[in-house]
Amino acid sequence: MSPVIELIFRLIRRLLPPALQPWGEAAIREARSATRPGEALPFALGCLSWAVGESIRFRFSKLKQQGEEPVNLTDRIGPRSVAVSCGVGATGLGLIYMSAGGAPAHYLMINLAALAFGLVTLGILVLADRRGHLPAGPLSLLLGLVLLAVSLWGVSAGGVTRWVALGPLVIQPGMMVVPLMAVLFARSRDALSLAGVAVAALALALQPDRGMAAALAVGMTVIAFTRPDRRTIGAAAAAVLGFAAAMAQADPSPAMPFVDQILYSAFAVHPLAGAAVVMGAVLLVLPALAARRLSGTDQAACLVFGAVWAAIIAAAALGNYPTPLVGYGGSAIVGYMLGLVVCPRRAPEVGRSPVEATSGPDGDGPLLYAGQP
Amino acid sequence: MTRSRTLSPAARRVLAALVAAGAPGRHGYDLCREAQIKSGTLYPLLIRLEAQGYLSAAWQVAEAPGRPPRHVYRLTAAGCRLADEHPLPATRADEAPQGGLA
Repeated sequence: MSPVIELIFRLIRRLLPPALQPWGEAAIREARSATRPGEALPFALGCLSWAVGESIRFRFSKLKQQGEEPVNLTDRIGPRSVAVSCGVGATGLGLIYMSAGGAPAHYLMINLAALAFGLVTLGILVLADRRGHLPAGPLSLLLGLVLLAVSLWGVSAGGVTRWVALGPLVIQPGMMVVPLMAVLFARSRDALSLAGVAVAALALALQPDRGMAAALAVGMTVIAFTRPDRRTIGAAAAAVLGFAAAMAQADPSPAMPFVDQILYSAFAVHPLAGAAVVMGAVLLVLPALAARRLSGTDQAACLVFGAVWAAIIAAAALGNYPTPLVGYGGSAIVGYMLGLVVCPRRAPEVGRSPVEATSGPDGDGPLLYAGQP
Repeated sequence: MTRSRTLSPAARRVLAALVAAGAPGRHGYDLCREAQIKSGTLYPLLIRLEAQGYLSAAWQVAEAPGRPPRHVYRLTAAGCRLADEHPLPATRADEAPQGGLA
């Protein structure tokens, strides 16, 4: 069995409620016994869609039994877990759309592999952050310089330079870098971070990449409004200038099947496929709702995360830019997961008012509360 | 008072495949192929039929050595009656079998 199918099996086991585990095991063994080539993956994906549905039903019925509103889900499982679930759910809905649309099997595998890679990388970043090995300023500057290097020496197509070829894979580093930079700046607004944002804005203008330049501008503007000071206003100004410069240049990129314009074209495949794409896009911005229960840098980071992904989706709706997670493309999936590094693991306990929800400038430490009863 | 519901075409095809299988029963993979439905549609259906007593599911040791046991599904007496009451609808040449999205 291929690693992708084994990953699907693990997800099925993880998602199914305890009462349905024997059925899940039976389904997995059937997938393993598929004799015709290429039949195991569709069989496993069908079982995964069933497991996702059962998991959602099970969790909501548990919440109902406890007399709680589903809207308070973040209280129970933490903003980061909710956000990771949203990313996984959106990727799953994208797989359903691509299966229904007859996308090549390797498109599905690449998205699944990107999801696995993103989750592992997120785990590593969270661990590094917890141990204080993730300095936001130097990292932001490094990310900005990477983006600039891509603009200067990356893969070009039709006068646009925004890709990097890794063997047979072509990735779009901007999709990975911009969401992470934006949330890092929401948490740490030092001089190096500001320099990183300015370099990134310049890089996106040079590429040009209107979609990601818009996402950076929106993210920085949200920070400038929520935390107005000299640096945040400077970062917002640099990002908006970069966006304006990108808009002033022609971007003749054509629409690619299963990547661009799928918010519209998915409905032509099947109404359910269209609904899956729209639902997946909505899921991507849901983590921002956790901001209502947070404060300080955690609140700003959640708002910026939601704003950046809303801008990327809006760009995909308005132009030939990749539709993140629900369309083909691993860069957005990895970028989504990386951006969750600053999303707090736990929400404040009910009845306590959070102060700065992070323990220090590097965040993600134990939560501190004021007003102990 | 129990409410009788009309079975979906997919459910009728699964019942028909299980009737054809007889006492030996059928595995899930074979049912998907014979009833021409997706696995994501089959398993919720099997679970519902089993919960309502129309179907029995049992682990069956594989004939080939080294292969893990597989679930085999057989209709109960009530399941056979249900299949009799809900025969396959007359198929039209232009009507393709419907299944859930995989």
